[in-house]
Amino acid sequence: MKRWVLQLSVDRPRWVFLGVAILTLGLGLQIPRIRIDTDPENMLAAEEHARVFHNESKRLFGLHDMIVVGVVNDSHPNGVFNPESLEHIYTLNEQVKSIEGVIPRDVLGPATMDNIEQAGPGAIRFEWLMGEPPRDEEGSIAIRDAALRLPMVKGTVISEDGKSVALYVPIEEKDQSHRIAGEIQEIIDGFSSNDRFYITGLPVAEDTFGVEMFKQMAISAPLAALVIMVLMWLFFRSFTLILSPMIVAMATVIMTMGALIGTGFTVHIMSSMIPIFLMPIAVVDSVHILSEFVDRYPRSGDRRATIREVVGHLFSPMLYTSLTSAVGFLSLTLTPIPPVRVFGVFVALGIGLAFILTILVIPAYVVRLPEKHLAILLSSKDYEQDGGWLGRALKGVGGLSLRFAKPLLVVAVALVAISGYGISQIHINDNPVRWFKPSHRIRVADRVLNDELAGTYPAYLVFKQGSDGVPEVLAAGDEALTRARASEVARAQWNDLKRRVLEEGRSDTSSVDAVIEGTEDLLFDASEQDSETWQTVLTALEEAQTQSKTFQAPEQLAYLEGVQHAVQRSALVGKTSSLTDVVKTVYRELRSGEEKDYRIPESAQAVAQTLLQYQSSHRPHDLWHLVTPDYRETTIWFQLKSGDNEDMAAVQEEVARYLEANPPPEGLRAEWAGLTPLNVVWQENMVRGMLRSLLGAFLIVFLMMTFLFRSPLYGVLSMIPLTMTIVLTYGLIGLVGKDYDMPVAVLSSLTLGLSVDFAIHFLERSRVIQAETGNWIETLGLMFEEPGRAIMRNAIVIAIGFLPLLAAPLVPYNTVGFLMAAIMAVSSIVTVVLLPAIMIHLRKWLTAKKEQETWNEASRVGSPS
Amino acid sequence: MERSITRGLALLALSFAASSAQAEDLKDATEIVTRANANQYYAGDDGRALIRMKIVDDQGRSRRRQFTVIRRDEKDGGEQSYLVLFDKPADVRNTAFLVHKHPGKDDDRWLYLPGLDLVKRIAASDERTSFVGTHFFYEDISGRNPSEDKHELVETTANEYVIKSTPKKAGDVEFASYTVWIDKKTLLPKRIEYKNKRGKVYRRIEVAKVQSFQGLPTITRMKVSDLESGGYTLSDISRVQYGLGIPDDVFIEASLRNPPRKWMQ
Repeated sequence: MKRWVLQLSVDRPRWVFLGVAILTLGLGLQIPRIRIDTDPENMLAAEEHARVFHNESKRLFGLHDMIVVGVVNDSHPNGVFNPESLEHIYTLNEQVKSIEGVIPRDVLGPATMDNIEQAGPGAIRFEWLMGEPPRDEEGSIAIRDAALRLPMVKGTVISEDGKSVALYVPIEEKDQSHRIAGEIQEIIDGFSSNDRFYITGLPVAEDTFGVEMFKQMAISAPLAALVIMVLMWLFFRSFTLILSPMIVAMATVIMTMGALIGTGFTVHIMSSMIPIFLMPIAVVDSVHILSEFVDRYPRSGDRRATIREVVGHLFSPMLYTSLTSAVGFLSLTLTPIPPVRVFGVFVALGIGLAFILTILVIPAYVVRLPEKHLAILLSSKDYEQDGGWLGRALKGVGGLSLRFAKPLLVVAVALVAISGYGISQIHINDNPVRWFKPSHRIRVADRVLNDELAGTYPAYLVFKQGSDGVPEVLAAGDEALTRARASEVARAQWNDLKRRVLEEGRSDTSSVDAVIEGTEDLLFDASEQDSETWQTVLTALEEAQTQSKTFQAPEQLAYLEGVQHAVQRSALVGKTSSLTDVVKTVYRELRSGEEKDYRIPESAQAVAQTLLQYQSSHRPHDLWHLVTPDYRETTIWFQLKSGDNEDMAAVQEEVARYLEANPPPEGLRAEWAGLTPLNVVWQENMVRGMLRSLLGAFLIVFLMMTFLFRSPLYGVLSMIPLTMTIVLTYGLIGLVGKDYDMPVAVLSSLTLGLSVDFAIHFLERSRVIQAETGNWIETLGLMFEEPGRAIMRNAIVIAIGFLPLLAAPLVPYNTVGFLMAAIMAVSSIVTVVLLPAIMIHLRKWLTAKKEQETWNEASRVGSPS
Repeated sequence: MERSITRGLALLALSFAASSAQAEDLKDATEIVTRANANQYYAGDDGRALIRMKIVDDQGRSRRRQFTVIRRDEKDGGEQSYLVLFDKPADVRNTAFLVHKHPGKDDDRWLYLPGLDLVKRIAASDERTSFVGTHFFYEDISGRNPSEDKHELVETTANEYVIKSTPKKAGDVEFASYTVWIDKKTLLPKRIEYKNKRGKVYRRIEVAKVQSFQGLPTITRMKVSDLESGGYTLSDISRVQYGLGIPDDVFIEASLRNPPRKWMQ
């Protein structure tokens, strides 16, 4: 195959260029069909239980994702509770209702929420909290005082100190948040006042991230390409020469992204980084070839022969490095996270493409290069025998490494130990809002609003019931029939009614209501004798219906209150709201309006009648955000001050402990819904999945190495740089306190793929050289010449090439940029410095008895053919 | 024959409704609205009805309300009293409302909650709040005073008057305007559509059935739809009787705790 490929590229360069151009163009044309997906919900498969439950709960309670708009005023003693600020808040509150994609009836704010209060002795009043903007200070303070009296409003819409206000804008689709936030900003820009407005909320953060991500794809990847190019120019001093790796990299990226988009996948946060990941990988092999070519060409002056020779002995290591990198990324398919899987598959595909393109395009390119460009290489002083400044530095390092092999090993072990401690300190945590830098307006808004208010991160603890209460109601009817000693006729009628109702299934009358209506009809038409029976049955059915409304019972409301009390102690929970809060508030106002009556009424009937009053408001449907209309399922709305997964997880643990000690009413199970808990679920999946994929890939790479070198010892040796790299970089992450988040997790597979590359090249070349010299010490000395230079050139190109990512306004991009540099630095240094130090100690075993055999193996896989 | 003439005359005296069969089209929007209001809310001098409401949300989940209402008018389009007594669901049974309606002024409203053993006055507030959790507003049940809007006869079709009404005080209501289709024969509304400030119809009331009781055309089935949420409420009116001779002293606070069984049966 190698021969065939070389023949094609060296003898038919035009065909190669034409083919690559056609493929690149064809697949590139798919790119405009791009669809962006920034919804972290998609980190979970559509059928994943937590996600299904989340969406089911959203539907059940009519919940929507919300944009939070906070208004703060530091200059007025009463904060925003002055006529001017409230005028703006009123306008904003009214106008957001008209924004396309906003659900007007669910907008929370003083102008769209109800107040319920005493209106003189024995009278109660329901009205808008702010029906119109107040004319004076007095009116403003009245609104503030009314709002502070409403537990559902306090902390949520008005800050506890009564100075700031927040509006909650529910939206139909999350992917509209960025646009809607923009339209809200436009309304705000029309005001001129001392008020400060802040817009935040998970949907805005996520959607805005998508928009900025799109920009970054267009900026970061090309910028990285540019820097890589400049660096390569510094090494090779020939623009024409380094154009070829850039062609390979561009073609790889375009083809891969084209294939991804063309096959209908959305571009997720992960897959948006594919170009950035592929760029270095695609460049690496080319740099190996060019590096050797440049080193050797001046000696022979025959480019065809040189390129054949170079590609010839690089083919195997390149194939293996590509395969191992691909395996590293393919192992991502072991994670249960769909976007990460897509990412893994397409990066692996890109790596395969990069390999093929490299061995086709680079030789073809070199062959077609005009003579005068190559002449520059011949005259370049840098590439005389010592390989320039890099070569001299390397030689120095090599000498030290071999002389101080023992202390070096001690240092390495110490570093691993320190890193081990660092790894134990790793915080597994993520938060989409923190994907922005601290100075980003979303982060600022997040900070200010969570400081002022109860919390902008929602989570819902849902109490779900398996059954709909129909069996209980029917059983009560059966029992009443027996008790009333019903006639045969009545029994037959009853059975008929039951059958009819159960068969009817979904209609717009609930089954329980249908049974009761049917019984009323039977009572109406009954003979004198059966009339009494039906009266008994009807009473029993109605009682059973009242009973079936679980969360209308005072003791169940008290249970919810208990859960709320328990979690309220946590500093992470800003506030919780439940049906109990609504019942207690309305009950208080029905009674006296005084604190002593802020309690749960004594009977289910009293609760039902209290809630009937609540429903005579402007927003009766608010009730159904907290309880289902059959009162059998309910939810406690948590407002958290932090969207960090570890904080959410801490709250979940605390709730779990409480529920363990105080189990919910029989037949009910508690489960979490909401974007914040959902993020925890996929994070757990990711951490577990990444560990599994890393271990899987590690094992496969080890087996591949053992196979490649036909030696388990070489297998182990080749795993050392990547192991050290993973341990050191993740140890560093732990030590500096950087959270282990999605990009960090995914980079482990890149580390695996790239660090083993250097080891393969190093070991492969050292075996070949050792076979020539027959002496390990001399061999390792020689390794700091040309092979070492190729590795270091590569490492430097990639490490520096990715530093521009540090300038991106998105934290995950910074993380990738920084880690990429760290990975390159560590793995190249470990390979070039530590491997020789280890090998010098193992030299006896490296060329054991089967020296002859090893020689053959090495020449078969490594030497020109 | 003679009997029917006598009865017809009697009913004519009772209400405009009997005279609603017009030979010639009416031209004045306000007059049409005023007469439709009288037909819908002031039929007979007094009356009683059993009302069943079914509230259905966008997910098809339903709840019920069933209550008996008795009414007594001082004068058509004028002062009026209501007593509403709940029967279903069972947990709100015997909850009662008393309303003294004063056109042009705030109504007097009382409330009795048996589970709390509590009578409470409901202070004046805007009337466009939900009627006990249904998609009807309090105002849909009690009637909106025609003088609160400006009326414009948009179209007269073969069977209907189409009238567009715009509130005089826009700040008090959630709609920008509404359009009523009034049946020429019965002078009862057939359909009402409410438009929001964006000019979009977001709420619709449809009259599905009209029956005559004692010669008075009466709406017996209507549906109000919340087009934004997708929910609706169906209202069925039965056991309608007019001219019962309910005395004025029935509509007092004491009747909340002790409903006058005689009139509420």
